[in-house]
Amino acid sequence: MDIFNLAFWTFVGVVAGIYGLLALGLYVQFSMAGLPNFGHVAFMALGAYTMALLVIQSHVSLVLAALAGIAVAMLFGVLLGIPCSRLRADYLAIATVAGSETIRFLVTNSAFTGGPTGSIGMLGPTQLSTYTGQWTPFIGGITSFLSTFFGDAATNDLSMFFIVWIIVGVAILVLWRMEKAPWGRVMKSIREDEEAAKSLGKNVFSFKMQALIIGGFLGGLAGVLWALEIGVFSPDDFQPTLTFYAYLILILGGMNRLWAVPVGAVVFGILYSGTRFLNFYPLSLIDSGARAYLRLLIIGVVLVALMAVRPQGMFGNRKEMLLEK
Amino acid sequence: MTDVQLSVENITRSFGGVQAVNGARFEVERGSITALIGPNGAGKTTAFNLISGFLHPDSGCVRFEGRRLEKMAPYAIARHGLVRTFQAPRVLTRMSVMENLMLGAPGQPGERLGMAWLVGSRSKREKEVRAQAESMLELVRMTHVANEYAGALSGGQRKLLEFGRALMASPQMVLLDEPLAGVAPKLGEELLDHIVSLRRDQGVTVLLIEHDMETVMSISDRVVVMDEGVVIASGPPEDIQDNERVIEAYLGKLKPGSAAAPTTTS
Repeated sequence: MDIFNLAFWTFVGVVAGIYGLLALGLYVQFSMAGLPNFGHVAFMALGAYTMALLVIQSHVSLVLAALAGIAVAMLFGVLLGIPCSRLRADYLAIATVAGSETIRFLVTNSAFTGGPTGSIGMLGPTQLSTYTGQWTPFIGGITSFLSTFFGDAATNDLSMFFIVWIIVGVAILVLWRMEKAPWGRVMKSIREDEEAAKSLGKNVFSFKMQALIIGGFLGGLAGVLWALEIGVFSPDDFQPTLTFYAYLILILGGMNRLWAVPVGAVVFGILYSGTRFLNFYPLSLIDSGARAYLRLLIIGVVLVALMAVRPQGMFGNRKEMLLEK
Repeated sequence: MTDVQLSVENITRSFGGVQAVNGARFEVERGSITALIGPNGAGKTTAFNLISGFLHPDSGCVRFEGRRLEKMAPYAIARHGLVRTFQAPRVLTRMSVMENLMLGAPGQPGERLGMAWLVGSRSKREKEVRAQAESMLELVRMTHVANEYAGALSGGQRKLLEFGRALMASPQMVLLDEPLAGVAPKLGEELLDHIVSLRRDQGVTVLLIEHDMETVMSISDRVVVMDEGVVIASGPPEDIQDNERVIEAYLGKLKPGSAAAPTTTS
């Protein structure tokens, strides 16, 4: 594949946008409220699975199913909020990983969720199931509209690219206003020292709950978009590594900087997908299987190097980073 | 006592085998400056935590303005006008000094989720809060560090910032846990003046823990002395100075048969 393959980079852009949205959900929980949710990917899984199940098994319309998917993810946020009031940060991290892994194992081992085959097996092994019946004509319509501007470059991925990044843009604008408002000030105070926030009359539990519900909303939305983008998904799409990618995006862009999240997402996308093109000499001497591992090695080395040179991330504040909590 | 604002009635609290507060009772009069003193481990800070809701008593009750507080959450107690500071100041290190102060103000509609993205940072209330924070900065002499991270402040400055932040919450009563610890003497004097004027001009009641006897004797109307989890004496400072049980708690019991009677220097 050519490195200047437009279709490929459009897809990378879509994935970066969806991961960016996922990272925004984590931003609200971790960078604002100081909640180390290490099971954030669960929101994504719940969004995708709920939507697909409702469409395939209950024949609910796609729009309603997508909204239900997001709602279920938000409900899971409420569920996580209950231990949140009692658990200290490190224990919360463990509890959230357990929560998200429970969901992944549950869908892997239940027949009605398609087991390890995922969405395609939701009607059992004899019948292939899809949830994109209403989506394909919709996105096709956008694509044919876009083709008047972009000609042959207009693909369904390009339509999705616009949809995803418009959503990311709106989410950032809204979150930015909220962060600047007194609401954001209380959130940050909870991140810094929740006892101090309590002593000033702030209902810390309620704010943490809000952060988790917003995180659930953005995570669930990312899951719905992911499911629609790839058409078929399985439990493997919701590995814990995705949560860590979201953290990576926050760290790469710069901690506690909302505007750095989309930049982190793009850099992560390029780093992660762009390294697929390491097929030039002398790397081309190595066979492709070994090169796939080499690629992951290179990603790791680049990340370590970036963190060594710029531990505060691209737009982070070094002075702020060095202050102890 | 005529007008009791806060009454602590036989509260107890133990941690494992340690009975930190063991049936303490005292009252704080409205508009007074009351000092809570006692040797280390007497249970003063635990008593503060029990009053402010950061701990709940095993038994006994706490009344503030006629309301029972002992089962209330800390934030609810703060909203009722009883605001505390901490022995080790809890400033919000990665927020600016200004933001620290602005956080303290009560009744900010922009703190509600539904309003947050509508009101932004230029609302009328936000401007009021900012103006209030600016005058508070002047009061604690921190205008020059308004935009610094609170984490960059010295220990004494943190103490002052926390004091200012508690005042931003428009309290009816403040609980100050060693407000002078680590504050330079000159600033400390100013802080004491603030405390006195706070009571005089705004009628705020002050309950403070302090170890420096000279300070305690000079600014407080009443002194409550705790030792081993109970209140052993309370009254005007001049009475407390000569109270034998208090001297005993601080200096230890005189050996039986020892000739010299305890003398106090004042």
